[in-house]
Amino acid sequence: MQSRALEVLVGFFVCLGVAAVFVLTFRVASLNTLGGDGKYDIKAKFDTIGSLAPGASVKIAGVRIGRVRGIAIDPNTFQAVTTLEIDGRQSNIPSDSTAKILTAGLLGEQYISIEPGGDEQPLKNGSEIKFTQSAFVLENLIGKFLTTVTEKGGGQGDPPASAGDKGTSAAPAAAPPK
Amino acid sequence: MKALRIVTDFLRGIGEATFFLLAIVAALPAALLRPRLVVQQLYMIGVLSLIIIVISGSFIGMVLALQGYRTLADFGAVSSLGVVVAFGVVRELGPVVTALLFAGRAGSALAAEIGLMKATDQLSGMEMMAVDPIQRVVAPRFLAGFIAMPLLASIFSLMAIGVAGGHLIGVSLLGVDEGAYWSQIHEKLHPHDIVESLIKSLVFGAAVNWIALYQGYHAAPTSEGVSRATTSTVVVSSLVVLALDFVLTSFMFR
Amino acid sequence: MTSTGQDVLVRVRDLRFAFGPRAIFDGIDIDIPRGKVTAIMGPSGTGKTTLLRLIGGQWRPQAGSIEFDGVDVHRQPRRKLFELRKRMGMLFQNGALLTDLSVFENVAFPLREHSGLPESMIRDVVLMKLEAVGLRGAAALYPEQISGGMARRVALARAIALEPAMVMYDEPFTGQDPISMGVLMRLIRTLNEALGLTSVIVSHDVEEVLSISDYAYVVSGGKVLDHGTPQAIRSSASEFVQQFLLGKPDGPVRFQYKAERSYAADLLDGAAA
Repeated sequence: MQSRALEVLVGFFVCLGVAAVFVLTFRVASLNTLGGDGKYDIKAKFDTIGSLAPGASVKIAGVRIGRVRGIAIDPNTFQAVTTLEIDGRQSNIPSDSTAKILTAGLLGEQYISIEPGGDEQPLKNGSEIKFTQSAFVLENLIGKFLTTVTEKGGGQGDPPASAGDKGTSAAPAAAPPK
Repeated sequence: MKALRIVTDFLRGIGEATFFLLAIVAALPAALLRPRLVVQQLYMIGVLSLIIIVISGSFIGMVLALQGYRTLADFGAVSSLGVVVAFGVVRELGPVVTALLFAGRAGSALAAEIGLMKATDQLSGMEMMAVDPIQRVVAPRFLAGFIAMPLLASIFSLMAIGVAGGHLIGVSLLGVDEGAYWSQIHEKLHPHDIVESLIKSLVFGAAVNWIALYQGYHAAPTSEGVSRATTSTVVVSSLVVLALDFVLTSFMFR
Repeated sequence: MTSTGQDVLVRVRDLRFAFGPRAIFDGIDIDIPRGKVTAIMGPSGTGKTTLLRLIGGQWRPQAGSIEFDGVDVHRQPRRKLFELRKRMGMLFQNGALLTDLSVFENVAFPLREHSGLPESMIRDVVLMKLEAVGLRGAAALYPEQISGGMARRVALARAIALEPAMVMYDEPFTGQDPISMGVLMRLIRTLNEALGLTSVIVSHDVEEVLSISDYAYVVSGGKVLDHGTPQAIRSSASEFVQQFLLGKPDGPVRFQYKAERSYAADLLDGAAA
């Protein structure tokens, strides 16, 4: 009798431990949050991907529908080619959708957001998203901002709005300080 | 002269412990053939350690959540609280704290038990009955510890992250969005983190068991010897666990 | 084989053993006759227990040999040694019962480990052995619930569970009250006769041991001082043996532990300082 109780307790302990391992692996770490079957790959090219890394999320309207499976360089255009693995349940993403690299919060990690277009034709395995928006690189952003500010300070005659336009289009060449 | 003596004693101890480990490993297949003994030891080592693991896991998770919240709040990134807790627990505190508690709870008990068996001639008695004490007494305990440690560490991590620790404090008390708490963990924590955590706890479990059994088996057969074996089990295995943790971390998280 | 007479079970020849610098045995010869009760006596600290452990092959001597039934105990691979040990029972000073097992399970332990008998037969054998030592009623108790004398009887039942050829008793009478001492003495004698055992008793309880043994050795300072039948020992010419048997405080063994300097010198030294 006594050894029976002992065996039951040990069995309970082992089950609890194994369950903990499984919960940690599958629920907490999410070994696989995508649908098991029917996954398909699409490609998207970006001028720069910033700090996007393999494994990053692919989202539509903020909902995770896939992940970045691979990142490579196009040898001709020197663009970054990302391979996105999409959940098979999302089989109707319009082919004229836009892929953007966004940042979750101010310091969060980068992910790809897909904004659906209006085309009847859906994206299929191996097809490519043509409209993309590259990642913001903070240095470029600051550079543009600085150009804008210096031009605003230097060109006294110009109205502020046109200075802003000029800033975005012009190269960040050093404007004369005076 | 005395320094030389200390060095040779130390080396002798290491050598003796190595041979002891080899003898245990050689006896493991025989221990596997007698699962009853292993089950009995799983009870002593695993089930009886469960409560302390559950409670301390919960508290560690709560503390991590509180501390992490303070820091994250300054950056407006409290939604990452789950990640902070989960990384801290899965990669480091789960295996390490579990191993330290394991050394204090199960390791010291093992050393004392084996030491007392030696002091009361029970081990000699077995030898004279043509029963190998390493096979009958030591190997099942080693095996049970080896099995119990990763299970205990996983339970610890789960308690700390989800059930009663970080989740309770972060979500219920500090008002972090539950969805954000979990989705951030989902995104950042990879299965290989769990695997590395399990590897760590297996290594720690083997180390603590080895030290405890060695200390007990080679204790002086007096009450003083047994108490010394118990103390040095806790001290030595804590230090070894922390040192091993550094080594494993630098190997695994490049 | 030829050197082993039919009547000698254990033959110890020129045995030398030392703990570090301290020599325990300095070349001793002992013959344990088959089917008899042999006593090995000597003051505390002469390595009587060590001798039993050497015979059991737990420790190795630095020189000399021990043959058990014609087989050199210390020249055997581990497996053969274990086979030999199944034919030796040993009764440790405090019983050495396994504290996490009941009395019944303690006696059953060697049977379960070695005999491969079915459970019902193990039960019968255990109850028979416990009956032989008068403790069948205590089968369900645990070692911490029984007295020291009872523990030794349980250990005796365990030692004879595998029906060994020889049982070695390590100080069986130490710390026993007269009744349990009498019980143990009678048990040793009757079991020796009934099971055709060879018994070796290591002890310094002179009267008790001599009264039940057929042959006796007196060991001290690493040497065999005298041996013979109990009568021969009692009338030994050795001054030391006489001092030991009669328990005289002073004799060849000095009352004073050997000091490096004289008493007077030690005292004067203290006065000067």
